[in-house]
Amino acid sequence: MAQLVKKPKTNLGPGFWPVTIFLAVLAIVSDYYVYVTPLSRFLPEAAVPADQIDALFKFLTIVGNAIFIYVVGYVVYFCIAFRRPKNAPANTIGVQIHDQPQLEFWWTLVPTLLVVALAIFSVVIWKGLQQTQGDVLTMEAIGHQFYFEFRYPKLKASVRDEMHIPVNTPITLHVTAADVLHGFWVPEVRVKADMVPGLVNTLRFTPTTIGQYRIICTEYCGSSHGKMIAKLYIDSQQDFGKWFAKEANIAASGGGGAAVALTTGQKDKGQALFGQKCSTCHSVGPYNQIIVGPGLGHLFNDAEHKQLVDGKDVTPENIAYILHNGYQGQLNGHVAVMPSAQANAISNEDIANLTAYLVSLSK
Amino acid sequence: MAVATRTSAPHAVLDHIHPEPESFVRKYVFSIDHKVIGIQYMVVGLIFFVIAGLLAEVIRVQLLHPDGRFLGGEQYNQVYSMHGSAMVWLVIIPLVTGGFGNFIMPLMIGARDVAFPWLNMASFWMFPPAGLLLFGSFLIGAPDAGWTEYPPISLLGPPGTSMWCAAIFLIGISSTLTGINFLVTILKMRAPGMTFTRMPLFVWAQVATAALSMVATTALAGALAALFIERQFGVPFYDPAKGGSPLLWQHMFWFYSHPAVYIMILPAFGIISEVLPTFARKPIFGYKMIAFSSVAIALLGFMVWAHHMFTSGMVPWLQLPFMILTMIVAIPTGVKIFGWVATLWGGSIHFSSAMLFAVGFILTFTLGGITGVYLAAVPVDLHAHGTYFIVAHFHYVLFGGSVFGIFAGLYYWWPKITGRMMNETLGKWHFWAAFISFNCTFLPMHWLGLLGMPRRVAVYDPQFTFWNQFASVSSFVLAASTLLLFYNMANSLARGKKAGPNPWGGRTLEWMISSPPPYYNFKKVPAVLGLPYDFGNPLPYLGLDNPQAEAATPSQTGQPAAAH
Repeated sequence: MAQLVKKPKTNLGPGFWPVTIFLAVLAIVSDYYVYVTPLSRFLPEAAVPADQIDALFKFLTIVGNAIFIYVVGYVVYFCIAFRRPKNAPANTIGVQIHDQPQLEFWWTLVPTLLVVALAIFSVVIWKGLQQTQGDVLTMEAIGHQFYFEFRYPKLKASVRDEMHIPVNTPITLHVTAADVLHGFWVPEVRVKADMVPGLVNTLRFTPTTIGQYRIICTEYCGSSHGKMIAKLYIDSQQDFGKWFAKEANIAASGGGGAAVALTTGQKDKGQALFGQKCSTCHSVGPYNQIIVGPGLGHLFNDAEHKQLVDGKDVTPENIAYILHNGYQGQLNGHVAVMPSAQANAISNEDIANLTAYLVSLSK
Repeated sequence: MAVATRTSAPHAVLDHIHPEPESFVRKYVFSIDHKVIGIQYMVVGLIFFVIAGLLAEVIRVQLLHPDGRFLGGEQYNQVYSMHGSAMVWLVIIPLVTGGFGNFIMPLMIGARDVAFPWLNMASFWMFPPAGLLLFGSFLIGAPDAGWTEYPPISLLGPPGTSMWCAAIFLIGISSTLTGINFLVTILKMRAPGMTFTRMPLFVWAQVATAALSMVATTALAGALAALFIERQFGVPFYDPAKGGSPLLWQHMFWFYSHPAVYIMILPAFGIISEVLPTFARKPIFGYKMIAFSSVAIALLGFMVWAHHMFTSGMVPWLQLPFMILTMIVAIPTGVKIFGWVATLWGGSIHFSSAMLFAVGFILTFTLGGITGVYLAAVPVDLHAHGTYFIVAHFHYVLFGGSVFGIFAGLYYWWPKITGRMMNETLGKWHFWAAFISFNCTFLPMHWLGLLGMPRRVAVYDPQFTFWNQFASVSSFVLAASTLLLFYNMANSLARGKKAGPNPWGGRTLEWMISSPPPYYNFKKVPAVLGLPYDFGNPLPYLGLDNPQAEAATPSQTGQPAAAH
């Protein structure tokens, strides 16, 4: 019964060493390719810890790739080399070996050493992430359903969905959330922190490459989680200065938020949004068709109401201003409250769309 | 008197056989027979597998287009939350512990049943109600905050979130009780002579799993109870606005859910460790290393939970011990993988469907294990956390690992459970279709995540469209391939060839009795003289019911005739 049909020619079986050498070549060549290929080819590195994190990623890939090639290579090779021949009886047995203490010692020791090396490398990189590179710009990001709010020192109003930072300036970013968990992630910066209500987490990085990037929410935060994306602008010092001065100006004039580009508004999207956000309080009929607030269907051709609620002329820009900042004051002897864009959770793009829709109603 | 009898003539007690119940209800519904309960777990678990799998396909249909035309954000969130919850708690855990653990483990240790058969029945009967509760939540608004249900948003979630709490609580109790039951069974009821180092490796895996279930699940139960109470009665545990802590939930949840990963994968390790030696016709390589590494993984499994929370906010230095301990898990895991690879070396390998899935498991699980080390390294995790890289990683572990393990176990033990053979040709088609489409589905998710696609999104950046469509189409093939398995099972029950006691030439005790096994399993409990994996030697058992059993001879291995 116990007869060995296929007795290996050598101790290790036919082709073992050639296969081992082939796998070594494969591992070395592919690891070399990993080593020389900058990861920024796939995803740019826009800030300082990105290069260090990529270096650790590469190290992991080099080690993991070699292990993977050997495991897969040996499995495939053994499966081919030690397959029971078709004509061999079903009870043909394999080599009755139980273990090989020396081999087991080595394949425990080598991974252990690799883990030690990896742990040391990781700790070194980790330490780098903890160090403050100076406290040049400290700012805050606050997650809301479903937008990011950014606060700058010396800027009274906060900025929505746009984060501007000057290049080559160490940033200390404190993140938190107003309602539920959110996440702050910029793939090109390679770091991320959860935005937790009641808790302040801190991210430190130094932007190095001017450009526009995406800030992505990475903790589930509700129905529109996937759409919670803001823009990160890494500006030149000059551009940042200009932007900051403009924001400070808007803030001083009582407004807030980035300028709205009204020309890009799409009335179809505005109409859909009006149904979700505005129609609870406003009809699209004439002024007197009041629900909570006045009807908005005849804004531009209403002879009785030639001004907006805040007394300004009826222009798309002034409509957008109210949509952005809201309104609180008197209207026909009552207290009128129109929530701000922040309270309504609408973005600058939404404002443009809504304005386009409201303009289209009067035509 | 009884005591005296026991000491003077142990076999008189051991040989006493309870009569089989006769009524339909006691035989098939409220049965206390571990084999019937095991089958019940498998049937219910596979039904839930179909539902959870269909939910996964809904996810992939949604992601065919970057702007998500199929479902709105809210329904989409419910779908993936329920997919994850169901796969973890209603499919994988019940199948690998309740299903295979129940049916196979007592047979393997030469026991007539588990230690507490009534408790076993009670554990099972918490399972279908838990499933109904969970899926029933769709009627009133299913939970939508992912399977992790992080507060505060889970506090505001749809009403069904409370049903989710109740369902998972119930399945958790069931899991804890099964853990206690299995642990006592394995510690106290092994056949004479079966020392710990003679136990089959599947049994070792069940010991480690049972201990994990017993200890870890209680933390989950506490966390769930608090979430339920806060949702229903407003007692603030987690809401920071009222003095609660969202991180409290995360710690409690992961204190369970990390060990839960090992609850899902260790029994699959056990299955692989049985299938490989049987079809390579040689002893498992490094038995003790494989056995002890299960225990080491289980122990380490309790000390690494916060690696899920590197970005959540914790004292920075605390990241280091969690990082290093997590990396250490790679060592016993690697030792296991190397042991399996070495088991293939020098074998007389026969590629049955079960063996194909076992070999496929080694490849896919190795990749899942390697990406796990990436995520353990804090700086890399800061980039990869919460992205599709994570989704890829845990599907390689849980589908390429646990589910492939379940498939291997099904093909391997199906003849034992039903007494009939499956069609091997169909089984091989199933393997190749599943293996290729699995890799095509989940491999692209690695780079999707690294390049900037976050998880749990109903819409995504158009630059990721191609690979999402590629993954979606592959997932449809993956789902279709599973139909081959179900057809094979149905076909086998209707027309399958009789299996005989030992079609694969296995050497563990379950193959020494008829298929399906009789109610009492063993007329006389055999004595065990050694490890079950010495294919060159006579069987290490004394006092088998049927010593002429075709013991170590595979009677029908691989002959295509077995298919008909």
